[in-house]
Amino acid sequence: MSGAAQGNQNMTQAVVSDSKDGSKPMQPQKPAAQLEEDDEFEDFPVEEWAKEEEVGAQGPTTHLWEESWDDDDTSDDFSVQLKEELKKMESQRKS
Amino acid sequence: MDAIFEHFAQAYNGQKGYGPDGYDLANTIRPQAPTDDPARFYNFLRSSNTYSIQTDLRYKLQYNPDLKLDKKEASAWIEVFTSFYKFVSVLLTAEEAQNAGRAKEADWSGVYEGWRDVVNSLYKGYQSNVFAAWTVPCLYVAGKYLRVFAIKADDKTASQRDSRLASRAIQEEDAFSPDSKHEKLEDAARQINRIFGLCISDRESRKWALYYTANLLFKTYFKLGSISLSKNILRSLRASTADMPPLSAYPNAHRVTFKYYCGVIHFLEEDYATAEEYLTEAYDECRIDMPGDGGARKKNMELILMYLIPTRLLTAHKLPTHQLLAPYPRLASLFNPISTSIRSANLSAFNAAMEAGEDEFVKRRIYLTLERGRDIILRNIFRKVFIAGGFEEAKEGGGPATRRTRVPVREFAAALQMAGAEVGDGDGGVDGDEVECLIANAIYKKLMKGYIARERGIVVLSKAGAFPGTGI
Repeated sequence: MSGAAQGNQNMTQAVVSDSKDGSKPMQPQKPAAQLEEDDEFEDFPVEEWAKEEEVGAQGPTTHLWEESWDDDDTSDDFSVQLKEELKKMESQRKS
Repeated sequence: MDAIFEHFAQAYNGQKGYGPDGYDLANTIRPQAPTDDPARFYNFLRSSNTYSIQTDLRYKLQYNPDLKLDKKEASAWIEVFTSFYKFVSVLLTAEEAQNAGRAKEADWSGVYEGWRDVVNSLYKGYQSNVFAAWTVPCLYVAGKYLRVFAIKADDKTASQRDSRLASRAIQEEDAFSPDSKHEKLEDAARQINRIFGLCISDRESRKWALYYTANLLFKTYFKLGSISLSKNILRSLRASTADMPPLSAYPNAHRVTFKYYCGVIHFLEEDYATAEEYLTEAYDECRIDMPGDGGARKKNMELILMYLIPTRLLTAHKLPTHQLLAPYPRLASLFNPISTSIRSANLSAFNAAMEAGEDEFVKRRIYLTLERGRDIILRNIFRKVFIAGGFEEAKEGGGPATRRTRVPVREFAAALQMAGAEVGDGDGGVDGDEVECLIANAIYKKLMKGYIARERGIVVLSKAGAFPGTGI
């Protein structure tokens, strides 16, 4: 397999055309080959590697993930706006 | 012809001081001429012909003084290379047509069938236990290119069908018959499954190709859209683990790939806890960036993260940091907006981020899982209301100040509206039932602890850990 293999990938797309009356649009054919090859888990360039070469052996990775809530910082836009809104509601109720 | 068999002898006898080299042996049947010998296939083809190939091969393999193959093994390799000779002839013709701009004439189905014959000859050699364990990388090459050529052949068939349709302008029902769309790939799946059967029934040499072959099958079944067949493979593996070496004894590349596919299969089955285990291991066991690695490692890690991110969101409510995604611009553009919107409790930004990534998310089948990030946003909104409520005045006698735990439903309603939740009653007001429903849902999902006192219009939150896992 040489460079010959490539070059034909957009063919399917190129020949698609709409049907005459336009009422039944033809299923667009995706240029499958290219897209899906790109999707796949590839063979690694080497088969074996040492434990020290593993990603997980490079130190803790917990800092690469964060909590799903914002810190208890009440000065963010939402909290400030919310406080104002609640104050307004409160005064409306009292009046 | 000499080049191939010098190569063969070299791999078979091993370099000085080393044993035989199975990977190098597999290169002799790789359907891709080596870069340092690009004319190898042409020379091979010209050096013989279909009538005398077997005799010629006998001299190269059986009577070769550099090779000491016993008669049975020599015959098995002669079989393999006889098929390979025929295959090379079909391959070169197809490549020539393709190169010369006559893609229509390139017979990729013929190439696939030719390669299948090569694989079949190899299969027989292993089935009759003639080939030793170290030669097993030949099975990797065999299976790998079955897939490659099958996909090529199917693409070719599809494009021919399309051009027929376009020229006729009238569609015929049968042209869309779905069963022919992946004809060759389905056949390849059957062939690879045969190899898998060969590996799993063996206790000697072939078992070392077990996970490589399983991975190839996963890849093929995924492409065919058949996850249930992948589960069958997992089931047979589980049933035979007692007879097989542990996964840890297999090459790293096979292990990581296997864990990735196991992770994705469990993810699609919505078994997120198991998915997280597999995907985390796959990620951790990847090899760090090495010069000359090409793009495969990075792409594989990107794929692992593509599933690990939605999984973690569900199992641990954790989000990837920008730092984690920095090396992967594509992932960063998809997931950073999602993370930011969840953390800042911004529903409209979340909707926009989901819409922007929709095509990719749907294609990867992670859309519905990510949708559940909405629950986390609601939790974050309610949490902000709780924090905004501040603290109760300290009771007499002091003691630590406690947060206000009785929160009016209308405050939640206001916050929801601000965040862009659809809780309007269509008349400028708020649909109170809808608000209560969202609150009840969060309580039910254990994202919030407390209960709704409907008649008083308040939510009574737990004094200890109203929002489990979030520090308050």
